[in-house]
Amino acid sequence: MTKYILILFIFIFKYAQSESYVKAGESLIWDSEKQSYTANGEVEFQNDKFVAFADEMIAEYIEQKNKEVFTIVELFNDVKIEFKDEIFKGDYAIYTREDNIIRLTGNVSIKSPTRLLTGYELIADIDNNKRILNSADDESLVEVLLDNNAKN
Amino acid sequence: MSKFFPKVLNLIIFFIIVLQTFIYYLNTKSSTKVFSQKSVSVENFSSIVLSKSGMTKIGSEKLNKVDENNISLEGISYLENSKYKIYGSNIFIDMENDVSYSNDDVEVINSMGILNAEGFTNLDSEGKILFQGKVTFIRHD
Repeated sequence: MTKYILILFIFIFKYAQSESYVKAGESLIWDSEKQSYTANGEVEFQNDKFVAFADEMIAEYIEQKNKEVFTIVELFNDVKIEFKDEIFKGDYAIYTREDNIIRLTGNVSIKSPTRLLTGYELIADIDNNKRILNSADDESLVEVLLDNNAKN
Repeated sequence: MSKFFPKVLNLIIFFIIVLQTFIYYLNTKSSTKVFSQKSVSVENFSSIVLSKSGMTKIGSEKLNKVDENNISLEGISYLENSKYKIYGSNIFIDMENDVSYSNDDVEVINSMGILNAEGFTNLDSEGKILFQGKVTFIRHD
């Protein structure tokens, strides 16, 4: 009986994990020399942190232990990123795996169940659960610290 | 007048003979061009070719040799090397330019994941593969 419960648990755990994928509506180019993937047309990108949507995506990768790992993901035009209960929008976004930070620029907004803020640049620090929203003129700056400081 | 007539006639006959000799020479001259059109088909084919990506194993239900540099893989076909495994059907290979392509559904497995698309063009010399149509790339986790 215990054996069956264990198998069931492994099965549920496996499918409960978020699947990492890239979807493109028009085309995808794998450039093994530049170590990049370029996706076009209704692009959807998901990793273990967030889901992103855009018109175009360029993802750079490195090879680690015979596996390719995305290091930088750039998103262009009508960018929407869903991270837990927050939605980030902008014209352009770049995610760097090294520091787990998403930077959005151009008509950015951050929407959560309790607020909607807009600006020119948004820096979302995932590890530190910190959001920095800048307006077009550098003089005004809004720093938002979420109530829940738990590490993601 | 009648004195010159046989001479003119002889001259005309001489020119005709020379002309005929020339025509005969042109007709019998052997051509230096060699025209060859060999059509080779092999069923349940598999082989290894050397390309920029290294040794690539290719196989198909039926291989058609179009000419010296072009082959088509009919039916279920594959290209496998250390970088990728491409499984599809009706794949065309340009051996001279290291290009392979197909407009049929294709599945590619590489070290990052499994990719499905509605066709591909593999520019092996540039290290690029262009996938067309709706593309889904699911990463190994």
